[in-house]
Amino acid sequence: MIIRCIAMLCLLFAMPAQASDDVVAVVKAQLEQPTVLRGNFEQSKRIEGFSKPLLSSGDFIVSRERGVLWRTTKPFPSVLKLTRDEIVASQGDTVTFRLSADSEPSVRIINGLMFSLLNGDVAALGKQFTISGTTVAEQWALDLKPQQAAFAKLIRAIALKGDAHVSVIDIDEANGDHTQIRFSEQVSTPATLNADELERFK
Amino acid sequence: MSWNASSKSLRIANVAAAEHRFIRTLALVWLLLVVAISAHNAWLWTGDRLKLETDVLAMLPQDDREPDVAGVTRALADAGARRIVVLVGADSAIASRSAGDTYAAALADVAIDVRYRIEDETASDWLDFFTPFRRGLLSATQRQELESTPAADLANRAVQALYRPMAMPRIGSWASDPLNLFGDWLAGRAKDSPIRIDDGRLGLVAGERHYAVLMLESRVSAFASGDQARLVDSMQAARTAVMATTPDADVLSVGVPLYAAAAAGQAQREMHTIGVGSFLGILLLTWFAFSAIRPRLLVMLSIAIGLATSISVCVLVFGKLHLITVVFGATLVGVAENYGSNWFSNRIGCAPEQRWTMLREQWPTMALAMSTTVIGYALLALTPFPGLQQIALFSATGLIAAFLTVLLWFPFIDTRSMRFSRFAAWIGSLRARWPRLQRGKWSFVFIAAVIVVLIVGALRLHPNDDIRLLQNSPANLIADQRRLNDLLDLPSPAQFFLVSGIDAESVLQREEALTARLNQAVTDGDLRGYQAISDWVPSRQRQGANAASFARVIDADNGVLALASQQLGEAVEKPTSAPAALLTISDWLAAPVSEPLRHQWLAEYRGGVASVVLLRPPNGVAGAPATTKLAAFADPENGVRYVDKVSEVSSLMQRYRVRMGWILAISYLLVFIALTLRFGRHAWRALLPTALASALAVALIGLLGEPLQLFNMLALLLILGMGVDYGIFLLAQPQRDLVRPFLTITLAAISTLLAFGLLALSGTPALHAFGLTMLFGIGLAWLLTPMFMPSDNDAAPSQSST
Repeated sequence: MIIRCIAMLCLLFAMPAQASDDVVAVVKAQLEQPTVLRGNFEQSKRIEGFSKPLLSSGDFIVSRERGVLWRTTKPFPSVLKLTRDEIVASQGDTVTFRLSADSEPSVRIINGLMFSLLNGDVAALGKQFTISGTTVAEQWALDLKPQQAAFAKLIRAIALKGDAHVSVIDIDEANGDHTQIRFSEQVSTPATLNADELERFK
Repeated sequence: MSWNASSKSLRIANVAAAEHRFIRTLALVWLLLVVAISAHNAWLWTGDRLKLETDVLAMLPQDDREPDVAGVTRALADAGARRIVVLVGADSAIASRSAGDTYAAALADVAIDVRYRIEDETASDWLDFFTPFRRGLLSATQRQELESTPAADLANRAVQALYRPMAMPRIGSWASDPLNLFGDWLAGRAKDSPIRIDDGRLGLVAGERHYAVLMLESRVSAFASGDQARLVDSMQAARTAVMATTPDADVLSVGVPLYAAAAAGQAQREMHTIGVGSFLGILLLTWFAFSAIRPRLLVMLSIAIGLATSISVCVLVFGKLHLITVVFGATLVGVAENYGSNWFSNRIGCAPEQRWTMLREQWPTMALAMSTTVIGYALLALTPFPGLQQIALFSATGLIAAFLTVLLWFPFIDTRSMRFSRFAAWIGSLRARWPRLQRGKWSFVFIAAVIVVLIVGALRLHPNDDIRLLQNSPANLIADQRRLNDLLDLPSPAQFFLVSGIDAESVLQREEALTARLNQAVTDGDLRGYQAISDWVPSRQRQGANAASFARVIDADNGVLALASQQLGEAVEKPTSAPAALLTISDWLAAPVSEPLRHQWLAEYRGGVASVVLLRPPNGVAGAPATTKLAAFADPENGVRYVDKVSEVSSLMQRYRVRMGWILAISYLLVFIALTLRFGRHAWRALLPTALASALAVALIGLLGEPLQLFNMLALLLILGMGVDYGIFLLAQPQRDLVRPFLTITLAAISTLLAFGLLALSGTPALHAFGLTMLFGIGLAWLLTPMFMPSDNDAAPSQSST
């Protein structure tokens, strides 16, 4: 048992954190890049000045073709939809927030970022962030630092952990807020959206 | 009547000698004047003293136009005069960045400032700039929402936003702005331009296409042609470099310097082809007709003196010259041509000593020819349009000076004998063979054909005064401009509101009242958007009101913050509400943030200040009618004026055109009276051919599908002046076997056609319209005039000298 532990440690030391390009390549190889990914999430958000974190949970769909559907069920039901052309937040039938890419081009960047984070698309993330990280066996962890100063004014850093899928996202905002999202029960089949899901994307 | 009847000339020899001395005295007086004029001209042309006005608006009637508005449009134009925007597009952000880098690198050696690479700090600076003033900064929508939405709903919204995994960026603590109004306001301001900073470079995304944006600022004036050509060359080289590395890239470039370069290039090419062609043609013609160049040089001398006199007189009267005056005034070259031509056609083949007799015989005819032309110009001077007054004075003085030069100087300078060349004799003899209109089959056919052309032409003729017709920039530049306007969502430079007031605060308040109405127009679809400084820097009054409603709706005891905190179960500490700092216009102007809108602020305007609210009219055909609706928002009493430069100038052109029509009609009447005094019942024979030629010229323009505009009308006035001269010269010596009169008018007509008819080939629409009208009108006047002359057995027209 002890020998095994020592061997493990040796192995760890023998395999130090790899150079970022290699990590990216390894993570890329490990991650599944499904057309459709479904799963559950638990989000814990710490707001600067708040005594306890805001907890919420629900499910999500990431579709390569359609975008991201983020459905919160607790503490109250609401839906956030990110498509190529807009960001729409709704509660029941009421739209509470809408931002179109026509009027704000950065909607595409935001949505692209969200998509890349959920999907673990490191190649796309590499355009906005300097990536460093470690991989141990099936597990990997990445640290993302924004490259642009304007972006760094908003996000200090993002940490991703995962195996075949992203399992944890930590977002460290420049204003002191901190968001942690944990994922579970991610499945990539069926690879097409059913009629109900398609309807929800509309 | 013939000047070679020797007995007659002997009889008047004594009288002639006295006259001779008299003319000599006058010639000397004229010489003194010409010396003075030349000196004045030399003084004007050296050392940049000649002020050439190039602004078309300067031709507007004084009372009809506010000089301040012209100044504003000029200031707006100046702001863009040196700027070129280049977009380099590719199918990915990386590709467009590298293509943009290649383009910028290729321009490294050129005298031009390139704004493309942006320091990262610059982007974040403007967040910092507005932060201290955030509580006073609310958009119209935000204000309305704060006023009309129940606090509970707003609190709900604030809570919900917190749970979103990705919220709009928030600046500062949640408690200080639970609805993230400031972040939202900043995002709204960013909408004024689609240009974003991407990886330290300016760029924009349109659909699938990514563009690198390069702002070039030429360090030299847009109108210094040598530098322009170099700039265009290096931009072409940069484009080639981009295409070599990124074959699917597209490069759009737009800017006043590019238009100026294209126009200069075209003018130069035309100068070389049309100018040289017409000059050579006229030289050859003179050589063939007179077997000498001397007559041409003398005619050119008379014209040069005419031009120099015009310039001197106009500068003395108006203080400066308008470019259009010079262009149209220069056409007097063609009219002045007639006097010199007449002199030499009559001198040809007669002994030098006979020239005095000839002068006696000819000067009444020449004087009549001159006065009929001056009549038209004199009427032009009576219009309230400063531009036309200038043209009239310029042309009339030039004509009189050229006429005096021929009359007073030629007898002393032109002392050699001239033989009749075969070419001249042949031209002159054509008159005898020219068809005459009389009762007969062919005349009937001719008249019928003329009537058909007139009717069909009149039916197809349509006036069009849109100044955009005069735009003749290369198609690729216009296409680039259109795409760039779409991509950059640039406001229109031609329509805008001018808001003035006694101080910055009153201007901003008036702007806010205006933008409230514009917001409605945006909702109604009459406007895509607008660009106003008060959106960035609200008036002090508005900032105060904003901060107050912020405090009331959000900070108050049962406000949004309290309700949201309750919902979250958080005892959020209320921020210590420091009095909101006031953003002032001078702070904003001094900060880099204001760069894109700074030129809209006019710190000095009629003793107060003013600002310009730029508009984004709806795309496509809906644009024009929708913007006219906006004019109703103007409120001159309260310092809000609507300025539509395009329609202003177009309607000006229309008024000029209509007025020219009246002047033309009155000119015809007065010329007819002058002709009747001289030729009695034969007067119509001198006028009708020209009238017919003018009508046919207009009909032909209609048949060609070209619009009728001011420049055609200006040509018609000239055709009257010149065409009637042909009638006068022929009627004065109506015998069909005389060769000199017809030689005179033929040489004059060909010179005029070579000088102006060739302008029909010009690519510049104004010159083309003018040239084409001249080509038809002068050509037809020359063809028709001999046909209307009386038959030899008809009573000779009255020879009574005036």
